[in-house]
Amino acid sequence: MKKMKDSRTSSIVLHNLLIAVLAFIWLIPIIWLLCTSFSSYPGMNTSTFFPAKWSLTAYQKLFHPDSVAQFPQWFLNTFIIACFTCAISTMFVLMVAYATSVMRFKMRKPLMNMAVILNLFPGMLSMIAVYFTLKSFNLTNSYAGLIMVYSASSGLGYLIAKGFFDTVPRALCEAARIDGCSEARIFFQMVLPMSRPIVVYTVISSFLVPWMDFVYAKMILNAGISSKYTVAIGLYKMLDKSLINNYFTQFCAGGVLVSVPISILFMIMQKFYVEGITGGAVKG
Amino acid sequence: MAAQEKTTAAVIGGFFKAIGAFFADFGTAVAKGDAFVKLSLVWMGAGYVKRKQYVKAVLMTLLEIAVILFTVKFAMQYVPKFGSLGTIKMEKVFNMKTMKSEFNDYDNSFTILLFSLFSFVVWFAAVIVWIKNVVNVYELQKLEEAGKHINTFKEDLRSLTEEKFHITLLTLPVLGVVVFTLIPILLLIFVAFTNYDQQHMPPTELFSWVGFNNFVSLFGGGGLTSTFGYAFVRVLGWTLVWAFFATFTTYIGGILLSLLLNNKKTRLPKMWRTLFIVTIAVPQFVSLLLVRNFFSNGGIVNTICSNIGLTGFLRSIGLVSTSYIPFLSAPGWAHVMIILINIWIGVPYQMLIATGVLMNLPSDQLESARVDGATNFQIFRKITMPYLLFVTGPALVTDFVKNINNFNVIYLLTQDVYTTTNQAMANSQAKEVDLLVTWLFRLTQDYYNYKMASAIGIIVFIICAAFTLFAFNRMIKGDKEGTYQ
Amino acid sequence: MKKVVKKVIAPALAVAMAASCTVCVNAEADETIKLTVWGAEEDQNLLKELTDKFQEAYPDQTFDIQIGVESESTAKDTVLTDVEAAADVFSFADDQLADLVKAGALLKLDDYADALQLAGKTLDDVKAANVDGSVEAASLDGSLYAFPRAADNGYFLYYDSSVLTEEDVASWDSLLAAADKAGKKVGMTLASGWYNASFFYGAGFTTGLNDDGTTSIDWNGTSADGYTGVDVVKGMLEITGNPAFMAIADGDISNQLASGNLVACVSGTWDGATAQEVYGDGYAATKLPTFTVGDAQVQQGSVAGYKFIGVNGYSENSGWAVLLAEYLTNEESQQAFFDQRESGPSNKNVAASDSVKENVALGALAQQAEFAQAQKVGGKYWDPAQTFGELIAQGTLSVDDDAAIQEALDNLVDGVSAPLE
Repeated sequence: MKKMKDSRTSSIVLHNLLIAVLAFIWLIPIIWLLCTSFSSYPGMNTSTFFPAKWSLTAYQKLFHPDSVAQFPQWFLNTFIIACFTCAISTMFVLMVAYATSVMRFKMRKPLMNMAVILNLFPGMLSMIAVYFTLKSFNLTNSYAGLIMVYSASSGLGYLIAKGFFDTVPRALCEAARIDGCSEARIFFQMVLPMSRPIVVYTVISSFLVPWMDFVYAKMILNAGISSKYTVAIGLYKMLDKSLINNYFTQFCAGGVLVSVPISILFMIMQKFYVEGITGGAVKG
Repeated sequence: MAAQEKTTAAVIGGFFKAIGAFFADFGTAVAKGDAFVKLSLVWMGAGYVKRKQYVKAVLMTLLEIAVILFTVKFAMQYVPKFGSLGTIKMEKVFNMKTMKSEFNDYDNSFTILLFSLFSFVVWFAAVIVWIKNVVNVYELQKLEEAGKHINTFKEDLRSLTEEKFHITLLTLPVLGVVVFTLIPILLLIFVAFTNYDQQHMPPTELFSWVGFNNFVSLFGGGGLTSTFGYAFVRVLGWTLVWAFFATFTTYIGGILLSLLLNNKKTRLPKMWRTLFIVTIAVPQFVSLLLVRNFFSNGGIVNTICSNIGLTGFLRSIGLVSTSYIPFLSAPGWAHVMIILINIWIGVPYQMLIATGVLMNLPSDQLESARVDGATNFQIFRKITMPYLLFVTGPALVTDFVKNINNFNVIYLLTQDVYTTTNQAMANSQAKEVDLLVTWLFRLTQDYYNYKMASAIGIIVFIICAAFTLFAFNRMIKGDKEGTYQ
Repeated sequence: MKKVVKKVIAPALAVAMAASCTVCVNAEADETIKLTVWGAEEDQNLLKELTDKFQEAYPDQTFDIQIGVESESTAKDTVLTDVEAAADVFSFADDQLADLVKAGALLKLDDYADALQLAGKTLDDVKAANVDGSVEAASLDGSLYAFPRAADNGYFLYYDSSVLTEEDVASWDSLLAAADKAGKKVGMTLASGWYNASFFYGAGFTTGLNDDGTTSIDWNGTSADGYTGVDVVKGMLEITGNPAFMAIADGDISNQLASGNLVACVSGTWDGATAQEVYGDGYAATKLPTFTVGDAQVQQGSVAGYKFIGVNGYSENSGWAVLLAEYLTNEESQQAFFDQRESGPSNKNVAASDSVKENVALGALAQQAEFAQAQKVGGKYWDPAQTFGELIAQGTLSVDDDAAIQEALDNLVDGVSAPLE
């Protein structure tokens, strides 16, 4: 009896050890990022893993903007853009996913086929056309334009959400319809609450877009006014050949500061994640 | 997704049938409609006035006026020049009095092309609405003749949250896609048939139609560097290899990791999950640029490797010829590293998706399987895996296509770091680690060769389309949409 | 004939216009002149200062001048994406001039010379004030397209004089031998057509830019000085084969400098601060060394690079933009650029001043100047040349294999001189 328990314990230990090792591998570059951001040397350190001298200068400099680094301003800009992008994208994705998953109408399949086809084109190439479209509406060098670029086409990314909605028991919807619920009510009051994980997933991934993208942002915010940048362009420009030696540590510090709120966001969301399902009607 | 359910032929057949039915309705409406229905052909609000739907009548009239104004005020500036793409070159004189340059009214081929396209799309939509409108008005006439109830405007509005809720849901997203994806893509297709390159850059120069010339030169018809075809084949090969490995390694890795974390044996699963998720939280351009420096020729990993003697060992067995390990700067090494690094950034994403999906696993099936005495592995193989494939299968195919077009990872990891030593590749501005998209990006960014980039873009599309059709037809057969509902 | 007429009439016209014009311009003074300026990130504060002074110089005119960030090395990419949206006045590196002119992104200054009257200057004054090389590099087909602002966009040798003597740095052979003895390395970027051309230019080879935008290149043959391309490559391979030599990726020199491995390196003024910090009292700089071609010692050449300030061809207030660009590059401004940014002036007077001459890096640049030349190449040059440099850096080519070297050179020439599509 005792032996059996021992082997169980050891298998649990091994199991968790495996996870720990994996997590460690996954975190090495992040640890390096964190360490480097606390280095007193402004350039890149290529000889040791840990900095020779620890200091907070990079962070202090980030919050005392010079002409190159205006981090607080960039952060605010990106945050505003991300909020709008997130709201619009999430709405679009869920709307399209619901319409294609739960509802049945004539244009459903043609529209879905169109979406498949449109997703096949390399988006990089249409960049210049997007730019000139925005320019004709006088939306270049504006956040509205950038938000549009990030969120307008987001409906095309509906497939994952649709796959999720497909697993919501159809009988529930039918029952609600018979009870006289409108489609809008079924959508907002039944399907959405039952699909929290996918809502969370959509929210997170669309919120992240503006923090990640530098290609479109660089193209659309092209007036060179540094205070209007997003975090991504601002940090990316710090790696310019003439600047990297004085700004690499600040680049790392900026990267850390961007990751912190996003990580916290993820952690909060994770709670929803589990709760949303266990309490939901799916189990019944 | 419909493509998976039917064969291509059936899809296309159904498409034409639908179009046929659409025009047939229109024909009947025009032939059998009363005077007001016929008047609707000219004044779109007419039919509604007759059936006392005044608000709708006003809206339709306004829409019609808007389209006409758009045509006169905007479209006519560009569409007439669509055939030539402009003839007047920019000229300017300096006016000393005002200290300004005075420009002539010059043509910009690119804006002509873009706005003509824009007009075509608007007109196309207007024609559909116009036809639909006549059909609707005829329906109203029939309702009236049959003495049935005709909706008030309020009721019409309400239907938008009921049986027509999909219209409410889809209007804005579709509009966004049309303006920001469809029109740019159409434009890209048109550019492939022009000579838009560094010699013909608007606004200073004009470009014009050249027919299929670009495709002819792409397939060895001359005009291009002789090594272009050579580079194309190699870049294409790596693109496919990359897409395959990038997709499947992260997909499988994600599922395994989520199973590992969701296992009962795991202590503190939330904490572990959070640790993995932290890698997603660091923006890609930060983490990838960091990793690039991490593995660079003079970077930290190389320093460590040479300190512990690994570099020397690899040199002695002939794997490395330089004084450093060329993690990201030699073919072979770089290819493997890129896929490994992609696993690093991709797996937590897939884990997130897989976890979400696994939690929705129909538990009754699991229970009954357990009652029947199935082992864990059997449950995984027979229930979990098919379920996962069903929910994420289509996404797997789109992931593959996304990876074919995965710009960020390759560009951030290799730009400025990887120098090809293959002169034939270099002469076509390509590298061994380039995907078609990164190669195209450089062709447009550094060489302003939009016409060739567009031509290759169309080829990329054809490859992706062929693959998608193949995958949907072969991998996922039959209509499974209802299986789990 | 036409030119003669122009020369006679132009001054006459200029006088007439100058007389009438101060009045006309003042009549328009209530209109705010909007201008945007693009400059490097590190120059932003200085640009602000200079544009403020510019506004003070024209008190009757109200301006709205915005300053934006655009690195000189990438200005072309941003400007050409959308010329009409680009800044009125922008600074850029000399190798971008031809592409910018072709896209109509630069004003032909000859047509706008009248505007300079307000500053009391002519275009000839500007040309005379700057060193000939910079004016030549800023001109295409005899017309001036940009104002020279700096002449420091070139490279030379930094070294640690506490380890190396002046004799050591005279030739690559002695330099590498001394470095080897000290257990240190000598670094240079080879995987870049901008750096590796220096060996070929030194041996008398050339590159040229044809009217249709293609590049002419003769490196696979025999140079005017009688050396063969194969011999030059062998000389380069002798250097890269030396264990004390370190081939460094483009842009990575300063990192390597800072890590303390390098006792000498080939770089430019942008790495001056790092070199000074690392070498301390031993900080020194000089012209590039000689290298061995066949039996002879040949002085390594280099690329003479300039930085320009140009006016956008689509600028609306082009007259004022020309005045501003000229102001930002005049003697006082270049002096300010030197004082604050240690930027090497193209203005003859500033360059002749004692403080410039005492600057270590700029002094070395001046020493190298007589072996330097403007690099005239088209867009097709860079990728093949970079790969060629990498081939040499990685030691893929062997010193003994003449045929392979010749083939690599032929491939290089093929790629570089390919027609534009």
